[in-house]
Amino acid sequence: MQTIAAVFAYTLKEHIRHKAWLSSALFGLVLLGGALVVSALGQDERARLMLDLGLAAIEAISLVSIVFLTVNLILQEIESRAIYLILTHPVRRADYLLGRYLGTVAAIALGMTGMALMHLALLSLYGGIEPARYLAALGCMLGKTAVMGALALLLSLALTSEAAAMSFAVFFWMLGHFSAEMRFLADRSGSAFLKTALVAFSHAAPDFAHFNYRDFWHQAAPGGDWLAWAAVYALAYTAACLALSVQLFEQKEF
Amino acid sequence: MNYRWLAAAAALFVLALFAGSRMRRLHEPRFPPLSELKTGPFAFSDAALAVAGFRAPAADLAWIDLLRYTAGSLPGYTDSPGKAYEHLGVLSLRVTRLDPSFHRAVLFAAGILAWFHGVERPDEAAELLHEGMRRSPEQPLYSLYLAALAYKRQGDSNRMIALLESSFDLPETPATMKAILANLRQSRGEYREALILWIRILENDRDRSEHGRAKTKIVELRGLISRGAPAKR
Repeated sequence: MQTIAAVFAYTLKEHIRHKAWLSSALFGLVLLGGALVVSALGQDERARLMLDLGLAAIEAISLVSIVFLTVNLILQEIESRAIYLILTHPVRRADYLLGRYLGTVAAIALGMTGMALMHLALLSLYGGIEPARYLAALGCMLGKTAVMGALALLLSLALTSEAAAMSFAVFFWMLGHFSAEMRFLADRSGSAFLKTALVAFSHAAPDFAHFNYRDFWHQAAPGGDWLAWAAVYALAYTAACLALSVQLFEQKEF
Repeated sequence: MNYRWLAAAAALFVLALFAGSRMRRLHEPRFPPLSELKTGPFAFSDAALAVAGFRAPAADLAWIDLLRYTAGSLPGYTDSPGKAYEHLGVLSLRVTRLDPSFHRAVLFAAGILAWFHGVERPDEAAELLHEGMRRSPEQPLYSLYLAALAYKRQGDSNRMIALLESSFDLPETPATMKAILANLRQSRGEYREALILWIRILENDRDRSEHGRAKTKIVELRGLISRGAPAKR
């Protein structure tokens, strides 16, 4: 546990110092500013536009950041051979991987919190919103980001290529939002093979479509029990990806 | 070789599948399938945003396009001579098929198509309202507008106006619809009633888009009233 905490703190500090992360935050600011400008064109729906576009900007920045950071998290250390130095110390590979991952997610969460605070300040100019719902939407976005981070880490270890891992991560992101469509296609498919393949794919990919609180904000709000199951889903899916990553990492010869 | 992490991953994945099925059972987002999205020059960007999980922002951008069209500044969407707001229905369906909870797009378009001076295409408005009602049956304004349209077809404008006015203070009522209502009152020579409606528009922060017109209309109506123009036709 101490090792995880030490690696976590080191990773968090590293990301805070990292210029890529800072430029992402700046880009997020630009996107939030863009949302403010675009929402001005929305007439009666300005508050809605400000809410939707701001949340979308926060999520887009978080997604790009988490995929970029986690894909490079271990691969860069393997390339620069820094991993040899770390693993000569009494550090379990699982602890090291978990600490690195948690530190990265914490850095992204910090960035999201900063952007959310700026967004809330802008929203307060247009009458504000329900804080509990905003927190739920932000929680779901963090859940999606955590799942994507774990998936990107797994892909980077499995494919050992940054470009391939990033491409597959984006593919899974799309597939995750396509899960309802895949089940719809499976229902209408005449071929048993295609039906099974579609259902298997829809379950294997993270179910982001049902997790997209930000997108169905204006529809009837789900209850607290839904949020609890969504949290269990995100944690279990993330943990499954991390367990697979540890399995792959432990099998690697350095 | 040790496969304990693989076993743990399998167990966690089963837990995720179970939690996912519970999550889906408790709440199903109501979005039309991608195949129902409107076709046109914007189809690719709409589909790309929807697939990436940005349906609400896509609907917001479609709403801006709709407003640009009504202002006459959406490239590629020019009305045929004698057919004002020809593409309004299509553009409002684009919004509602991206996000059915964007009620204002349908209400705004239906209001213009049914009651705007020189447009008056109530059948098209009714089609829009029926689709809106099918996708969001919980929205009471769809059925209210349909009932008002029925009164309009019967020529019972008193009941039509009374019905529409009953929704005047609801947050979903578009400012444009309120302006149409005030103009309807004015066209019937009911200047005092029209003046009250414009004042209510001016006092409401949500109707900011009509505040400029409200100021002009208030001056105009006060003038008409002070000159002793006929109070009621």
